[in-house]
Amino acid sequence: MSATPLLSITGLTASVDEKTILHGIDLDVAAGETHVLMGPNGAGKSTMGHVIMGDPVYTVNEGTITFDGQDITDLSPDKRSRAGLFLSFQAPVEIPGVPLSSFLRASIAGRPGLEMKGKEFRRRVKELAAELDMDTAYLNRELGVGFSGGEKKKVEMLQLLLLQPKLAILDETDSGLDVDALGVVSRGMDAYRRSTDGSLVIITHNTRILEHLEVDRVHVMVNGRIVREDDASLIPWIDANGFDSFEREAAEQLAAGESR
Amino acid sequence: MKMDGMTIRHASAMPAPTWSWLKMNDVTVKIPDGLERTCQVEIEAGDTLDNTTSFESAIARLQERLDAERSDARADSRAICVAATRKDKGAEDLDVPALSSYEKRAALSEMAGDVAADFETGIGINARAYLNFLAGGTAVLAAEAGETEQANIRVTAENGTASGASVDIIAEDGATFAVTISLDSTAEQPTFMGSTLRVFAGRGARVDLTVYVTASDAVTLMEDSGFVLDEDARVTVRHVVLAGGFTATGLAADLRGDRSRIDVETSYLAAGTEQRDFNYVIRHRGRKTLSNMDANGVLTGSSKKCLRGTIDLIHGAKGAEGAERETVLLANHGVDNKTIPTILCDEDDVAGNHGATIGHVRPEQLFYAACRGLSQEQTEALFLSAKLEDAALRAPNDAIRAHVVRLGNQIVPDFEEEIA
Repeated sequence: MSATPLLSITGLTASVDEKTILHGIDLDVAAGETHVLMGPNGAGKSTMGHVIMGDPVYTVNEGTITFDGQDITDLSPDKRSRAGLFLSFQAPVEIPGVPLSSFLRASIAGRPGLEMKGKEFRRRVKELAAELDMDTAYLNRELGVGFSGGEKKKVEMLQLLLLQPKLAILDETDSGLDVDALGVVSRGMDAYRRSTDGSLVIITHNTRILEHLEVDRVHVMVNGRIVREDDASLIPWIDANGFDSFEREAAEQLAAGESR
Repeated sequence: MKMDGMTIRHASAMPAPTWSWLKMNDVTVKIPDGLERTCQVEIEAGDTLDNTTSFESAIARLQERLDAERSDARADSRAICVAATRKDKGAEDLDVPALSSYEKRAALSEMAGDVAADFETGIGINARAYLNFLAGGTAVLAAEAGETEQANIRVTAENGTASGASVDIIAEDGATFAVTISLDSTAEQPTFMGSTLRVFAGRGARVDLTVYVTASDAVTLMEDSGFVLDEDARVTVRHVVLAGGFTATGLAADLRGDRSRIDVETSYLAAGTEQRDFNYVIRHRGRKTLSNMDANGVLTGSSKKCLRGTIDLIHGAKGAEGAERETVLLANHGVDNKTIPTILCDEDDVAGNHGATIGHVRPEQLFYAACRGLSQEQTEALFLSAKLEDAALRAPNDAIRAHVVRLGNQIVPDFEEEIA
């Protein structure tokens, strides 16, 4: 890992409606690295993705988030995006009334090096759609409205490739997809890594999506805490054994802490 | 000469008012002080500019036929008619109902069957009188029987002026007439503009009217119209109101002839402190008449909108069907959105439907857009530009498209290039 990580999270505690979800999270991701965040349902993985991106639903109670040398803890989500952060949604929202192509065009407007004129933009978006086996007719439809789950995830991948962020958090981009769609998502991640050498934080339950990726670090999260970190060798172990042992240890530690 | 300011009260009044405290029954139009009267109107109408026919004569011919058809009919003896035509006898005659002033007026109108007396426009007589005064005269555009014609009307207004057009459109039996109206101004100081229209669609005639409003924030605007449809006539109206400080759009239609039909599509935008007011009144008098009102809009900033839509299914309009729908997106919590769909019914064998979908931009949508680099203001602008894009793509001619592009460029840099 390089001396200065691209993303550095220190002692991050976050809550929603006065309920603490994340407890003292520390995480460093260097430029060009691929990290995987795993854990059972309800562990706080998606919350962590949203807190890194600045979702106003959550309150940061303690800790700092530093990205590309800048403290972004109090920065609005749109500014975090323009700083080079990207969050792919587990359940992408629909925005009726706004055609996908208009949304994409607005999202690259004013970004140095990414702004494109009309024809160039259309050509680029069509290229990316072809790369993701996505019907270009979707570009003229309202964002997400009537899209299948697979199409919505393809749109997320398309935005990843279009925006070329420095660091992308992919929140269960593989969930609910069939084998073909999984292949498309994998190709999208490969293309992102090839074209940008950007960093990835992949939140997933499914080890299959990781088969074609070179993973640098694996973090296991239980009950809002990172309970284990290791290299890629942890993935096949989790594939074989699941999260039971981590959950047991976390419960024991919690019980011990409470008894003290 | 500069004119004193004026206030038109009770404009765009609903036929059957609701609670006054809702402040939806009508609107007050304030015409700015110190405006200079001008008539900046261009009409491109080819052979349809006609001095030999008139709206009144078209109505008189229809009346003559209707009277002939009614001559053998028995007098209407319903209790409501008895009540409307004789003095109230109080408790002496309990079979005769007491009528509200609205019911009495409606009953008398039904009995008289007078097309000219029933004629109305959406904003109302005071607005029409003022617009006629500004126009200085009424242009008559007529499509002869069986002919296909088109006309373009352009109304503009410069800084500090009041400009209005008054036009009668007559589509004789079996004619097809496509008319576009552009109300456009780039004025930066208080200015007024508007148009008033009377439209007659003869037997089996077709009239397609498209109105684009692209005036600047400094403009107060009234766009008023009244329609009379004979048997099997078909009218489509598209109101596209994209800008203007205060705009009032009014339409009243008399579906007098059997099987006549009107479809009204309204598309609107309001941003900043702009105000939109719409009043639609469609009276079904003929049998098996059809009407559809479909409105779709986006409100941002602290803009205001009120839309009144009344479908009146009058006694005798057997088999008539009317429907009104509205979809509005509120892109900011500061907007004030009012919609009042009304269905009046005095006939058994009819159908009236209404529906409204009001959507707020939800916090998760704003967060999603923010994750793609869009601030709340940019997300609001996106809803506006998407609407403008659609309006530009569907503009009926290059001049109107250019006006929409001008508005688009104020919101999105290189809007024109983006939609090319």
